[in-house]
Amino acid sequence: MTDIAALDQPLETFAPQAAPATRVRGYWRSVLYRLRHDPVTLVFAAIVLCIVLAAVFAPLLAPFDPYKESVVSRLKPFGWKEHWLGTDELGRDMLSRLIYGGRVSLLMGVMPVLIATIVGGLLGVIGGFAGGRVNTVIMRAMDVFYAFPSVLLAVAIAGAMGGGIGNGMLALTLVFIPPMCRVAETATTQVRALDYIEAARATGAGTITIIRYHVLGNVLGPVCIYASSLVSVSILLASGLSFLGLGVRPPTPDWGLMLSTLRQSIYVVPFVCAVPGAAIFVTSISFNLVSDGLRAAMDVRL
Amino acid sequence: MTRRSRNSLPALLIAAAATAILVGPAEAGGTLTIGMTAGDLPPTTGNPDQGFEGYRFVGYNLYDSLALWDLSESEKAADIKPGLATSWHIDEGDAKRWIFELRRGVKWHDGCDFTADDVLWNMRYSADEKAPEFNPAQFAQARPYLGTYVGIEKVDDHTVAFQTKVPDALFPYEISYLLMISPCRAKEVKYDWTQYALRPSGTGPYKFDKTVAHQRLEFVANADYWDKTRVPKQDRLVLIPMPEASTRTAALLAGEVNWIEAPSPDALDRLKSAGMRIVTNIYPHNWSYQLNFVQGAFADKRIRQAANYALNRVEMKELLNGLMLEEYATVPPTAAYYGSPVLYKYDPDKAKALLKEAGCLPCKVKFAISTSGSGQMQPLPMNELVKSQLDAAGFDVSLDTMDWNALLKVGREGVADHLDINAINISRQTQDPFNALIRHVWTGAWAPKGSNWGHYSSPDVDKLVEGILSEFDGDKRLALLTKLNELMNEEAVLLFVAHDLNPRALSPKVQGFIQAQSWFQDLTRVSVAQ
Repeated sequence: MTDIAALDQPLETFAPQAAPATRVRGYWRSVLYRLRHDPVTLVFAAIVLCIVLAAVFAPLLAPFDPYKESVVSRLKPFGWKEHWLGTDELGRDMLSRLIYGGRVSLLMGVMPVLIATIVGGLLGVIGGFAGGRVNTVIMRAMDVFYAFPSVLLAVAIAGAMGGGIGNGMLALTLVFIPPMCRVAETATTQVRALDYIEAARATGAGTITIIRYHVLGNVLGPVCIYASSLVSVSILLASGLSFLGLGVRPPTPDWGLMLSTLRQSIYVVPFVCAVPGAAIFVTSISFNLVSDGLRAAMDVRL
Repeated sequence: MTRRSRNSLPALLIAAAATAILVGPAEAGGTLTIGMTAGDLPPTTGNPDQGFEGYRFVGYNLYDSLALWDLSESEKAADIKPGLATSWHIDEGDAKRWIFELRRGVKWHDGCDFTADDVLWNMRYSADEKAPEFNPAQFAQARPYLGTYVGIEKVDDHTVAFQTKVPDALFPYEISYLLMISPCRAKEVKYDWTQYALRPSGTGPYKFDKTVAHQRLEFVANADYWDKTRVPKQDRLVLIPMPEASTRTAALLAGEVNWIEAPSPDALDRLKSAGMRIVTNIYPHNWSYQLNFVQGAFADKRIRQAANYALNRVEMKELLNGLMLEEYATVPPTAAYYGSPVLYKYDPDKAKALLKEAGCLPCKVKFAISTSGSGQMQPLPMNELVKSQLDAAGFDVSLDTMDWNALLKVGREGVADHLDINAINISRQTQDPFNALIRHVWTGAWAPKGSNWGHYSSPDVDKLVEGILSEFDGDKRLALLTKLNELMNEEAVLLFVAHDLNPRALSPKVQGFIQAQSWFQDLTRVSVAQ
C-alpha cells in the first residue's frame, strides 16, 4: 500500500519547496548595486572626490600663497626648489594656483547646472504637464535660445554683461536652462498620458499632488543624468570664458585664465604651460565618465 | 621656316613655359612676407583702420600724405618731412591759414598727374558730406585728424591753402595722417569703393597687386616712385593678419613668413636659437593709466604721486624679458620736449607716507583693463604685477577686465559715464606733440570730444596749451612743450609704467632694415636674400 501510505503523508511534504532566496531591491538600491560593480565609474568618482576635497581644503593643502608673485623666479620648470609644478609667468607657485583654481572651476561647473536644473526643470514640468498654450509659450521661448550655439551664446552674454564670476555663472545658467527644460518637458509629456496619472486624477488627487508624487519621481532620473553630463560642459565653457577674458578677474587663480596667460610662455616651460589644460581635461572627463556610469546605473531598462 | 622646325615649335614653347614655371619670375629683391598683429586686412581705400599698423603696412606704402614721416634714422625720434608737399608755411596775414606747396611731376599709379585739384578732391572725399565723392567710412578714419580743419582752397595748380578754426601750429602733423588717393581711379570705378579697394591707386612706393579677402594682401614695388631713394629694394610685399602671438612665432619658425610684429617676450630665446634677428627700438608709445580726476582717490595729487612711487618698473622690465623701457614721463627721454621732469623712482616707503598723509590707507581703486589689444603689450600679467606692487604699498586695487573694444568704448565715453572707475589702461601713441601731451590735459580735449579721459583741467595748463597752438616759431614752441611735459609730471597726470620697445623678429634673410623711433617704418630699404 505504498501508494496509500504515500497518500497518508502530511500534505506539506508535497508543498512546493520555497523558491531560492531572491532579494528584491528597490530602485535606488539597484542603482547603487550597479554602481558598485562599475570600476570605471568608481575610479573616476574617486578622482572627482579628490578634486572636490582639494578645492574645499585648498588653504590646508596649497604649499604656497597662490597670489604671492616673485618676478625673479618666474617660469621655472617642474620640481624647481619646492615648487613641484614649477612657477607661472609672475613666479607664483603653480601647484597652489592649480589647487585654488579648482575652486572656481568646480563652482563654475556645478552652480550654473544646479540653478539651470531647478529653473529649467520646473519650466519643463510645467510646460509638459499643462500642455497646450502654456507648453507652446515656454518651449518656443526656449527654441529662441536654441538658435545660438551654446559657446557663442555664453560668450555673447558674458561679453555684454562684462567679466567676473557672477556674470560668467549667469551666462552659463542661461545657456543650460533651455536644454534642461526640454529634457524635463519630454519626460513629463510621456508620463502625463499614462494610465496611473488618470487613475490618480480619478481618485481626486490635485495637480500639485500628482506632479509631486507621480510626475517628479519619473522626471528626476533623466534630469539628474542630463545635469551630471552638463557639469563637464560647464567646466569647459567656464574655462573658455576665462581664457577669452570674460570669466574670472585676475589675479584670481582659474584654470582657463592660467592657460590663457601661460600660452605665451610655451617655448620656455612647455610642460608647466600644459598643466592647467591637463587639469581641465582630467576634471571634465572624470565628470563625464561618472555621469555616463550614473546613466547606465539609473537606466531601468538594463 | 622648314616643316621640321614648324613641328618642333610647340615643343619648344612647352619647354620654355615649363622652364618659366619652374624658375618663376625673376625676383632680385625677393619677397617680404609679414605676419601682422592685426585681426584683419586694413582697407585699401585711403586712411586704413587697424590702428597705426594699418598705416604702417598699407597706408604709407600705397599712398602718401602731403607731409610724411622721416623714418630714415634709428637714433632720434622721427619727425615729419616734406611728402606730396615740398614745403608749408603759415599765411603771414592770417594765423588760421596754412599754405602748402605741392610736389611737381608726381604721377598716380594709374598714370594721371598729381595736382592741387586732387588734394581738394581728397579733402571732399574725407570731409565734405555733400560732395559726390564723400566716403563715410573714410570720414570715420580721417575725423580724429580734422579737429581744427575748416576748409581748403586752390591757390594755383601746385599750391593749396587750408583754413583752420583756431591758430594751429601743429596742423602739419594732422595733415601727415591724411592719405591722398587717386581721383582718376575713383572716377574710373564710378565711386564704387568696393571696386576701388580691389584696384587702388596712390602715389606710394608700392603698387597694389592682389588680395585674398581677410587672408593676404600683396603689393609690388613701384619702380617709378617720385622719391628715388625710396624705391623698394624687394620685389613683392605680402601682408598676412595673424592676431595671435604664438601663431606668428610658429609661422616665422616654419618659414611661412620672414618678418613678424611683436613676438611674445618669452618666445625670444626660441626665436634667437633658430637664428632669427630680434630688432627693438624706443618709440613714442606709452603703457600707462589715465586717471579719474573727477571723483575718487586719484583726484588727490598725493595719491597719484604715491601710485607712481609704488611702481617697481625694473621688476616689470624683468617680467617682459627686457622688452620695455621704464616709463617715468608721458614721452620717452628721446623726445625733443622731454626736458627735466620730476621722476617718480620706486620708493614704496614714500608711497605709504603719501597715502597716510592723504588719509587713504588702504586706498581702494578700480582699474579698467583689457585682455588684449593693439599696443597693450602683455596686459594681464602686467596689470597683475601693477596690482601686486600697488597693494604692497598700501593700495587695494581691483582689476575690471574687459574686452579690448569695450575698454576703448569706456575710453571714448570719458569719465563722466564711468565715475566708479579710477583709471583706464589704454596704451597711447605719443609721436606728435598734440597726441603726446596736449590731449591728456587740455580742457578742450575732454572726453567724449577728445582723449582727456579723466577730465583733467587746470587754467595754467590750458593757457600753456593755447600758447603752444598759436606759437609758429619752432624753437619757442619746443620750449613751451618742454614746460608742459615737466608740468604734467609734476602733477602726476598719469600712472607711468612702460614704453614698449616695438620688438619684431626677422628671418636672417631679411636685410637692410633700419628701425625708426616711430609707429611707422620704412620697408623700402629691405631686401630678402633668395
